[in-house]
Amino acid sequence: MFEISCHGSPVILRQVVDLTLAFGARLAGPGEFTLRALSNGKLNLAQAEAIRDLINSQTEAAAQQALRQLLGELSKRLQGPQQKLIQAIVQLESALEFVEDDLPQLRKQELAGELADIASELDRLASTFEVGHLLRDGLKVTLAGRPNVGKSSLFNTLLASERAIVTEVPGTTRDTLTERTSLGGVPIVLTDTAGVRDSNDRIESMGVERTRQAMAEADLLVVVIDGSEELHSEDLTVLSEARSARHIVALNKCDVPSFDLMEKSRSNFEAKTVNVSAVTSVGLETLRAAILEPFGTVDSSNAGFLITDARHYDLLLRTAAEIRSSLDLLQGGASEELVIIGLHNGLRFLGQITGETTTEEILSEIFATFCIGK
Amino acid sequence: MSFDEVFDVIVIGGGHAGCEAAAAAARLGSQTALVTMNLDLIGQMSCNPAIGGIAKGHLVREIDALGGLMGRVADRTGIQFRLLNRSRGRAVQSPRAQADRSLYRQDMRKTLEAIPNLQLRQGTVLDLVVRQRRIAGIELQDGRKFGTRAVVIATGTFLNGVVHTGLETYKAGRTGEPSSIELSDALKRLGFPVGRLKTGTPPRLDGRTIEWSAFQPQPPDEVPVPFSFSTDQISQPQLNCYVGYTTPIVHEAIRQNLHRSPLYSGKIHGVGPRYCPSIEDKVVKFANKDRHQLFLEPEGHDTNEVYLNGFSTSLPAELQRELVRLVPGMEEARIIRPGYAIEYDFVDPRELGPDLQTQRVSGLFHAGQINGTTGYEEAACQGLIAGINAALSVQGRQKFRLRRDESYIGVLIDDLINQGVDEPYRVFTSRAENRLALRYDNADERLEPYGRRLGLVGDCDWERFNQRRDRIVRLGRILERTRLKRSDAAYAAVSARLATDLGDSVTLAQLGKRSGVGVDIIRSILPAEKPAGITDSEIESALADSLYAGYIETHRLNSQRLHQHDGLKIRPEFSFRGVSGLSHEMVERLERAQPQTFGEVRRIPGLTSAALSTLLVHLAVQRQAA
Repeated sequence: MFEISCHGSPVILRQVVDLTLAFGARLAGPGEFTLRALSNGKLNLAQAEAIRDLINSQTEAAAQQALRQLLGELSKRLQGPQQKLIQAIVQLESALEFVEDDLPQLRKQELAGELADIASELDRLASTFEVGHLLRDGLKVTLAGRPNVGKSSLFNTLLASERAIVTEVPGTTRDTLTERTSLGGVPIVLTDTAGVRDSNDRIESMGVERTRQAMAEADLLVVVIDGSEELHSEDLTVLSEARSARHIVALNKCDVPSFDLMEKSRSNFEAKTVNVSAVTSVGLETLRAAILEPFGTVDSSNAGFLITDARHYDLLLRTAAEIRSSLDLLQGGASEELVIIGLHNGLRFLGQITGETTTEEILSEIFATFCIGK
Repeated sequence: MSFDEVFDVIVIGGGHAGCEAAAAAARLGSQTALVTMNLDLIGQMSCNPAIGGIAKGHLVREIDALGGLMGRVADRTGIQFRLLNRSRGRAVQSPRAQADRSLYRQDMRKTLEAIPNLQLRQGTVLDLVVRQRRIAGIELQDGRKFGTRAVVIATGTFLNGVVHTGLETYKAGRTGEPSSIELSDALKRLGFPVGRLKTGTPPRLDGRTIEWSAFQPQPPDEVPVPFSFSTDQISQPQLNCYVGYTTPIVHEAIRQNLHRSPLYSGKIHGVGPRYCPSIEDKVVKFANKDRHQLFLEPEGHDTNEVYLNGFSTSLPAELQRELVRLVPGMEEARIIRPGYAIEYDFVDPRELGPDLQTQRVSGLFHAGQINGTTGYEEAACQGLIAGINAALSVQGRQKFRLRRDESYIGVLIDDLINQGVDEPYRVFTSRAENRLALRYDNADERLEPYGRRLGLVGDCDWERFNQRRDRIVRLGRILERTRLKRSDAAYAAVSARLATDLGDSVTLAQLGKRSGVGVDIIRSILPAEKPAGITDSEIESALADSLYAGYIETHRLNSQRLHQHDGLKIRPEFSFRGVSGLSHEMVERLERAQPQTFGEVRRIPGLTSAALSTLLVHLAVQRQAA
């Protein structure tokens, strides 16, 4: 193997690459190095997935998480529960398999306690996904409200660019607009929507339909209300539609003198309410903080270890569920060969993150733990 | 070369593998010879006089369902039957029996002699005659040469066997019997990779010198559960075994003398079985244990010999006497035969196909300890499969193989030929992914139709099989259909006995799944149309079918998902060499096997899981591109 360092000029890089290809070299396929490292046992599956996340990560915090996983932190965190699970399997298998040996009596109550502990430990880890997935996939924040309350202005201010066309004609935004940004290290997928109102304009109606869809898919709705005017019935419609989702209220145009009028209406809002001005950026920091608040402290690189991958999340939940089903059987007095099924399934699910545990390894553990054999 | 005699199939070795192999080949219509060093020791139990146990009892039942001998002979000669794991579910229960060592031997010999196409020949095989990588015959020490088209080698511990007692060593196949050195050399000359394993036995005591009251009797089952589906009744009088324990004094004495053990002085290089450790190993590896269990097993009705199970040792004979006498109740004990360790050669079983035929020499089959296994049952089932396939190959019929999801035999052979062994291989229920489906009591359902199709199951047994299965199936339907209602007379009694309310109505199948509901309760509420003559054991089988059905179905779906890529096609022009990330060795294995689907790839012996996933990725990418 050799390495070539050269100047950053794309032309020179291209020429160097072409030259090596002419001499018979071959370009690596996507993920090929990772695949090789995996095949050669240099990386485990969790680490390989971490490389993918590292490449795809959009913010530094997400990259931090991916890096931690790459360093084997997920596998390390799972080592404890996995070892305990193997120990439980060893106890049950030995009881089934070596009835004639002088083994210690199976203590079912202790075993039940162990299993409950493992399941809650896995649940705890899985619960970090709620925040963790945001780091990877981004938090979907959607601005919603009746027309002309300043959603697009707020959208632009939050993005700090002139992405959306802003006019004073109500209903200018006829389609949803989505941009990626980040708040305090958390990737945000920010969506601006068409104002919600009854309209005879067919294109505008289609836009409203898309708005409803964007609202349904959002992790968080920001209901934008014009604080300089009385509440419209359309505002109330939007608010009632947002009620079932996680949402906050942005009272816009706090720079306009008539703004105070709104104060008396605050009782209409069940959610956290922020005064903001898209024009002067007053209250913008408060709004940003309010957007992140429902998701806890996501930001800094010192944050606890988080599950960021939906596959891992799913496997952890499934493992915990399998262990609980075993626990139920154990407590219901079922025979060991039934109790053990869920534990083996759970171990297999964990193995899809950390690598498989073979029958041979379990047998080895049995022989190391107990003096077996006539 | 002219041959003195010519046979279709020759089986070398008269142990548990050899007997099954010879009987199966002959009964399939092949002219068969069983060649062994000493015809008087056919069917000898070299180690403890017991057959069966967890998973091993399953094997015996499977052998029986296929038409093998072991179960029947053990039933006729068993002197203590016990069903193990009685308190647990049916899937992990297993029959076990002590046999009268000498009766077992005699019965086995008589059984073999009654098989028409089978000839017994005494002699020591020195060499194999191989022509163009095909087996052609064997050469004996006495100069005779036999011609044949198939050979099953089932030589047990005789292959280059060396016995160790203390620092004394001598060449032997069992203590007092010569080993087979030349045959091992012949296999090496043919290029077979040969390794070394070790096993051991405990001393055998004079029962008259044991203070029996110091030990706890372990009685036989009141109603013995036989091995064979064809056995109605166990007729041998049943005996007790006895259980006792070593003491720290014994352990200390062993520790003091470890330097005299060939195991710890470095004389023995072969790897021994972890689940059958010597007493030296137990004392060293589990130093904090203050006692180790001993079983005193009678060797038979007409002998004083007692097998001291749990005290396997290779310490010097005179020391064994001192050690045994430190055990409470054995102060006066005399040793009839000292324990010993034996090292022997085995051939890497990855040389074999699923029919147990070597890939190196066509027509040559290996069965039993030569494949790195331990145990009579493990040996017998391989002998059966090798014998069947030897006959089939001679007759030009299709190979017979069992899958791992349908039998422990399938699990065992699949493990052997794919994983190889690095210590003597023993079967465990945990090795079977489909454990709940592989019960001792449904071995007939799983395998007897195969035995019938092959021609090993006679009319009488087949008739019995069909009637038994019919009763169980009909009972199963009745259990699903019949409801126990609150208004029924029996309801209150059942509910009271379980100390729980059963709801307004419950099917008998649902009731049977509750813990605490046994065959007695179910029998008491069976409707009048129950199958005539149904036994308790058959009711239990029907209940187990219903208990496990859901779990087995879930397992089936899961493994289907696991094997969802098995259908991926590999086009004939696909180049394994073109797959980056596959090692040279993996490419060679793939090219030799010529798999047509990914499912076939998965079953190729010796492929690493990394190679499998690499190949899977490539096949999947290729399909997407297509």
